[in-house]
Amino acid sequence: MKWINNLESFPYPFKGSTYRYSNNSIPMKTPLCVEVTPDYIEEMQLKRTLLNHHAERCYQSLPHTITGQWEIVELVIDHLAAQYPDQFSVEKKGSKWTFNNKILEEKQEFTFGGESTFPEEPLAFISRHVQEDLILMMQRDGDLYLDAGQLCFPANWSLAFNLGMKFKCIHHPIPGFKEEGLDDRILQFLMRLEAGNPWERKNWSLMAGDRLDTSLETFDQWGKLRKQVTKENAGELVHIRVEVQKLFRLPRTNGILFTINTHLLSLENLVSNREWLKQFHDILSELPPHITDYKGISLYKNEVLKYLSEKLESGKVV
Amino acid sequence: MTEAVFVPGKRKYVFCSDQEGIKLLFNVIEQVKEEGRPYEIFKIVENQDCLELGELLKKQKMGTHLYVALPYAELEKVRKTAEEIGFTEEETQYIGYGNKVKRIFCCRCHGMNETADVQADILCSQCGLELSISDHYSVFHNAFLGFVAKL
Repeated sequence: MKWINNLESFPYPFKGSTYRYSNNSIPMKTPLCVEVTPDYIEEMQLKRTLLNHHAERCYQSLPHTITGQWEIVELVIDHLAAQYPDQFSVEKKGSKWTFNNKILEEKQEFTFGGESTFPEEPLAFISRHVQEDLILMMQRDGDLYLDAGQLCFPANWSLAFNLGMKFKCIHHPIPGFKEEGLDDRILQFLMRLEAGNPWERKNWSLMAGDRLDTSLETFDQWGKLRKQVTKENAGELVHIRVEVQKLFRLPRTNGILFTINTHLLSLENLVSNREWLKQFHDILSELPPHITDYKGISLYKNEVLKYLSEKLESGKVV
Repeated sequence: MTEAVFVPGKRKYVFCSDQEGIKLLFNVIEQVKEEGRPYEIFKIVENQDCLELGELLKKQKMGTHLYVALPYAELEKVRKTAEEIGFTEEETQYIGYGNKVKRIFCCRCHGMNETADVQADILCSQCGLELSISDHYSVFHNAFLGFVAKL
């Protein structure tokens, strides 16, 4: 499966010739928490299958998050209807809302804020209409807690394990994150996030294979591909995985909505852009071991570098 | 926490422990007495549930500081009780003693395992996956993450 063939719409994540962890968030130019890409239908099918068959892995919430979940429903629906009026609409008569997803031809009537409107929680309902994974962080006692989330396409982490966890504890496994004081700086940044001023950032990693659902729960299946990478197959097998992450303050509960839109691009496609090839080669060659280890690249980094070097030397665009 | 620390100036002090644990609180109790502050001691006998303790804790007013000293295995249910009633991290001290058994959360099936030796890999008791034990800890689950040991 090739998730993205259109290089123009690929959220290329690199600047300069080196990469380190940083708070690379920037204010959003177009303040939308969700996006509809040409892969919409395909990704929604995949997401719904995962939500139906692996509910515990893909959806978790604590009981005190319902009000925050409704805020997310409102934000997402308003953004969809405003940005994509041909695909989505909403009719509001007091608390009686009718949401129309014209792509999937689904109409849902519900009482906004009502308790027994859907057979599932509000966050679970709205997550079935957007490609993004949706995470709700609640703020209390000077900290942020992951108190609810729908996560189908994680980059090797477990929502079930991280439920109820504080921001710094969530990021504890990242080498150097604490030592460099980044965890505290980013936490302080997030806690000052204001309603109406959303921010976004890109995060990247490499993966062997093209699965969107690289959960920690299934790592024993998909992680094996890392051992099969050679310089001959790297172009097809290895993908760069970019998460576009968006941060919105929810004004009523003072929670934070964190949306993650995951994009995959094969190396083959990436290197067809000569500038990207050169820049990515520089960055990967220079990447320190603690970052390659955490991003899960160590096992096949050398094969990828050989592949990139050959492409550079051949001077040919695939 | 391995040692109880006296926090001066609290409205009241509640000590909760068993016969062995009270020794670990002795110094603090002495200091509370010296300061002439109000205090209460709640004795826990083996395998006792937390209902009675819960009732006592619910009656406490703001500014009460809670000390708990129990075997590690017993500590968690008291911690849960106190948290549910509304005692925050700052208002409580938990001192464990004895064998420290760690809970391990299986990354594949979410099954909970227990082990005393965190250096060695274990087999998940529920799905059989070989797990390495990480230092990634969840307060919510009171467990460490066990991750795929061999690809």
